[in-house]
Amino acid sequence: MATTSVSLPAKATPAALKTRSESQWAIVLRRFRRHRMAMISLAILLVIFIASLLAPVLAPFPRDAVGLAPRFSPPLTVHEGKLHVLGTDHVGRDFFTRLLYAARITLSVSFFVATLATLIGMALGALAGYFKGTVDSIVMRALEFMASIPDFPILLIIASILVTDPELLPIPRFVLDFLGTLMLLSPVGNERAQVVVIIVVLTVFGWTGAARLMRGMVLSVRERDFIEAARALGASDAWIILRHVVPNAFPPLVVSYTLSLAGALTAETALSFLGIGITDPTPTWGNMLQFATNFMLVNPWVPLIPGLPVVFASLAFNFIGDGLRDALDPRLKM
Amino acid sequence: MTNYLIRRVVLVFVMAVVISLASFVLLYSAPGGPLEQLAALQSTTRRPDPDEVERIMKRYDLDLNMMVRYLRWLVGHPRGPIVINGQEYFGDLQVGCLKEGQARLVYPDGRVVEINCAKPVFLRDLAGRPVSNGVLALDFGRSQQLAREQPVAELIESRLGNTLLLMGLSTFLAIALSIPIGIYSAVKQYSRFDYFFTTVTFFGSGMPTLFTGVMGILIFALLFQRLGLPYLPSGLAVSNRDEVVPLIGTIKAGSLLDRIWHLVLPVSVLTFFSLAGWTRFIRSSMLEVLRQDYVRTARAKGLAEQFVILKHALRNALIPFVTLLASVLPTLFGGAIITESVFNWPGIGRLFINALTASDYPVAIAYVLISTFLTLIGFLLSDVLYTVVDPRIRLT
Repeated sequence: MATTSVSLPAKATPAALKTRSESQWAIVLRRFRRHRMAMISLAILLVIFIASLLAPVLAPFPRDAVGLAPRFSPPLTVHEGKLHVLGTDHVGRDFFTRLLYAARITLSVSFFVATLATLIGMALGALAGYFKGTVDSIVMRALEFMASIPDFPILLIIASILVTDPELLPIPRFVLDFLGTLMLLSPVGNERAQVVVIIVVLTVFGWTGAARLMRGMVLSVRERDFIEAARALGASDAWIILRHVVPNAFPPLVVSYTLSLAGALTAETALSFLGIGITDPTPTWGNMLQFATNFMLVNPWVPLIPGLPVVFASLAFNFIGDGLRDALDPRLKM
Repeated sequence: MTNYLIRRVVLVFVMAVVISLASFVLLYSAPGGPLEQLAALQSTTRRPDPDEVERIMKRYDLDLNMMVRYLRWLVGHPRGPIVINGQEYFGDLQVGCLKEGQARLVYPDGRVVEINCAKPVFLRDLAGRPVSNGVLALDFGRSQQLAREQPVAELIESRLGNTLLLMGLSTFLAIALSIPIGIYSAVKQYSRFDYFFTTVTFFGSGMPTLFTGVMGILIFALLFQRLGLPYLPSGLAVSNRDEVVPLIGTIKAGSLLDRIWHLVLPVSVLTFFSLAGWTRFIRSSMLEVLRQDYVRTARAKGLAEQFVILKHALRNALIPFVTLLASVLPTLFGGAIITESVFNWPGIGRLFINALTASDYPVAIAYVLISTFLTLIGFLLSDVLYTVVDPRIRLT
């Protein structure tokens, strides 16, 4: 009897403790899971992501093979014993195949643009906010400059020049090889260079938001007592920035990162749609949409095929950003 | 304030010089530009005709020094030697070189100078050579591809009306709708109305205008036409021929009704998009103001709720709205590039895209220069207005 009465609380205590001491991230996760739209969005994005990851396996036809079936065959057409799930485009290429490859390219471009822009913005914003003085005024002038130019037209003009003549931008070989392999691009022609050009141009015009956010956060965090304490204990500037300042400025940055994924995705789609970004035969949702709209008076279902993924992905990133905002800091809720 | 204004104007000036220099360099080195034409001419299989090469070089000022070329592009000068009282000055100043090589110059006063140029160009030679009035005088030269030899300014002018109409109308509608919706959402926070519009605006700002436009065409133009409902046109600003629309009747091509009919869809798409952002903006601004102590004081004094909201709260909530001016001014001129492209709207934004895809850089650069200038003015204006509407803010 005595033994059992001792063992029971011993078993119960860790469990009881566990429920009480949730880690910070567990709380965030729990709150995030309550946001229904964000969870649905996450699921949709996962499906798109996995499909694009398995593109070479799932795709029933070669990416650029033309004349597989009559032009604009409707979805579920069977031609010569082969099924075209989403039909064919204006030169008889399989829509489903191209959609998969396009997802891979579009998502990778958005990922690299958002990540690079956020990292650059974070670094510059942190340096400006932490050191103030000259560094700050240089970064601030750059931000002011970027804010006072019409960024979209200038971005378009630079992109159009670089896309027609990618040799103007010296790109290291390994970058081309790496991105080419990742996005399954052909090494002949300037397909790979075009993608790199778009990533670079969008990044150059995309870092300001993160920089401004980071600078503001750092300016408020650096005055707190625990930073003073860390400095008194002899911590170096690099240590303080990386271990104390950055983690505290993290929540709004995560939200802004998610939203900049959506921004990069729409920007890339818009560029390709306008014929100034990645051009056919490299498939992206944007340039597929461009061709689709050219023929939509006769084939009204066609724009939906590349259009719906764009909207789903863009809205999904927005919803996830919204969910993260609620989860990370309820005070930020709109 | 004065200090601030001086600093700001200096910044505008510096930016203008930087952007104009960058544009100028772009204009000449861009693919498809005059340099490339020249290279193409020189690499043809037939022997390059030296006269032809010289003609092109003179036509595009390629024989002049970079600085002289830039000045001629920017202000339309120098146009030849300076003449004062019939006396020529600086006529002997070398401003460029038509052909590389070596040459000896023998001046009338007996000086002999060796130069690295076989055919030097002197200031005197510029007299009578065609030149624009300079970008500063809004003379952007002539279009190279889209409408050969038509002045860029004329091309822009011909599209300006369409863009002003589209942008003006949608901006007006967006402001007129977003203010009441934003206020009502904030006052009745978490009500059904608020939830509905928060969701709508969330979709509005999350959906690319590209897709909203395409969907609009699919549903209201194509689907409605097939169903026999009164449909909307899928693009352009006026019809090419008379259209018979169910329930409305015949719409004569080029009539007022035709123009309005074509405006509905693009204006709605643009309004929907700006409405989304602005409603959120006003709602959150209003929510913040409603929490202020002075609003509670106003209520405690027993003022009517309507009075508290419209007089006390709204005035302060609208202050940040002034900053939107900075973004409105350039878009009024520049148009919505994507929406105009989706709807084939013959406006300036589409002109810009056409110019880019045709490598017509004089047109593209004119667009960028004017937008840059308007953006800078917009910022200046919104900053100054800010101090006018909010005396708490002092620019230093």
